[in-house]
Amino acid sequence: MAKRITIDPVTRIEGHLRIDCEIDNGKVSNAWSSGQMWRGFEVILQGRDPREAWLFVQRFCGV
Amino acid sequence: MRCRESDFEKIPGSVSRRDFLKVCTATAVYMGLPASFGPKIAEAATAAKKRPPVIWLSAQECTGCVETLLRTTHPTLEHLILDLISLDYSETLNTGAGHQAEEYREKSIEENKGKFILVCDGSIPVKDGGIYCKIAGKPVLEILKETAPKAAAVVAIGSCASWGGVPSAEPNPTGATPVYKILEGTGIPVINIPGCPPNGYNFLSTVLYYVTFSKLPELDDKLRPKFAYGRLIHENCERRPHFDAGRFAEQFGDEGHLQGYCLYKLGCKGPETYNNCSTLRFNDMGTWPVNTGHPCFGCSEEGVGFNIPLHTPAVVKNVTPSAVQTPITVDHGGGMSSGAVALAAGVAGAAIGAGVVAMKKVGQEEKKQD
Repeated sequence: MAKRITIDPVTRIEGHLRIDCEIDNGKVSNAWSSGQMWRGFEVILQGRDPREAWLFVQRFCGV
Repeated sequence: MRCRESDFEKIPGSVSRRDFLKVCTATAVYMGLPASFGPKIAEAATAAKKRPPVIWLSAQECTGCVETLLRTTHPTLEHLILDLISLDYSETLNTGAGHQAEEYREKSIEENKGKFILVCDGSIPVKDGGIYCKIAGKPVLEILKETAPKAAAVVAIGSCASWGGVPSAEPNPTGATPVYKILEGTGIPVINIPGCPPNGYNFLSTVLYYVTFSKLPELDDKLRPKFAYGRLIHENCERRPHFDAGRFAEQFGDEGHLQGYCLYKLGCKGPETYNNCSTLRFNDMGTWPVNTGHPCFGCSEEGVGFNIPLHTPAVVKNVTPSAVQTPITVDHGGGMSSGAVALAAGVAGAAIGAGVVAMKKVGQEEKKQD
């Protein structure tokens, strides 16, 4: 029977990350990483003046 | 009780009493308090039996607000921020992760009920039940609603937490909402420190004020501390004389731009944005967007930054004539002339800028002596 380990939140990184691991007989048999936050830059940028696109995309990550 | 050298030995890190008093006095001066309040702030901060606990909750953010605080190059500021307060939870800085971090957060909240400061960076998504930002499987909307009633006060740091910021830009796909709107009607005190990112000193001063006087500083109608957001950027801008004299950069890279003329026609939002960037500057280097040649885009002003297009001219608020004649020749914008220019604009805010500049000079003098 596989054991499931979840680490959420993953700290000391930028953003909200979740890691899921499936452990089978002491070995990782499957793993998933997932971002737990979405702001919708893809949607916000549609139809905007390209001259100000940088203003938005620059704020993807502040690190 | 006076603060003694021994008080500082208990504080981990390399804070000397002298450095600490210096920062506290600078803080007092730039909040518009008499310089004599500096030692008072230092006393309150060191006399407290327990450092005020802070829970830092991150929502729809980019971590820029945390960075601005950590990267401030003022000597030992990072020590002061981390050693003055007890940062019990922060996703970016926690050593523990996953359930360990969450358990510690819950423990601290229960132990310090009614005493801790809740800092929130990032907007709160409310669309689709708040699924667009989850921590430990729980929407941050729920975590905020549960935690805020137990806090002494809530500090919304950054434009996203203060008024929605980038995620709330049209068409606001996730229903990004500012913290104060989520907590509306609950009576929980909320203080906004907008900016993208805000100046770390504005946050530090607010916290020091709270530690010293056990109350929040005076706020404006948008819940921003008046000591920091009381004046328009335009009022203390070093390029203001060019505005008054009608000298403008018409295009990026043109002659006017090279000469350091006013950036109003390039869409500078300084005339409608309340903030102290033009006097306080960033990174202790006297730098800020306008002196690098870029217009202010109004990040700290609700309805301006990320809302009004970058190149649309600003609505000029408070059109007051300058108190003195502007000089015929003015050098490039930049350098350390902000104090003098602010004085020319004839506003009380000048004292704030001059205070900071004076403190910087004191710092340099002392360094020389050291």
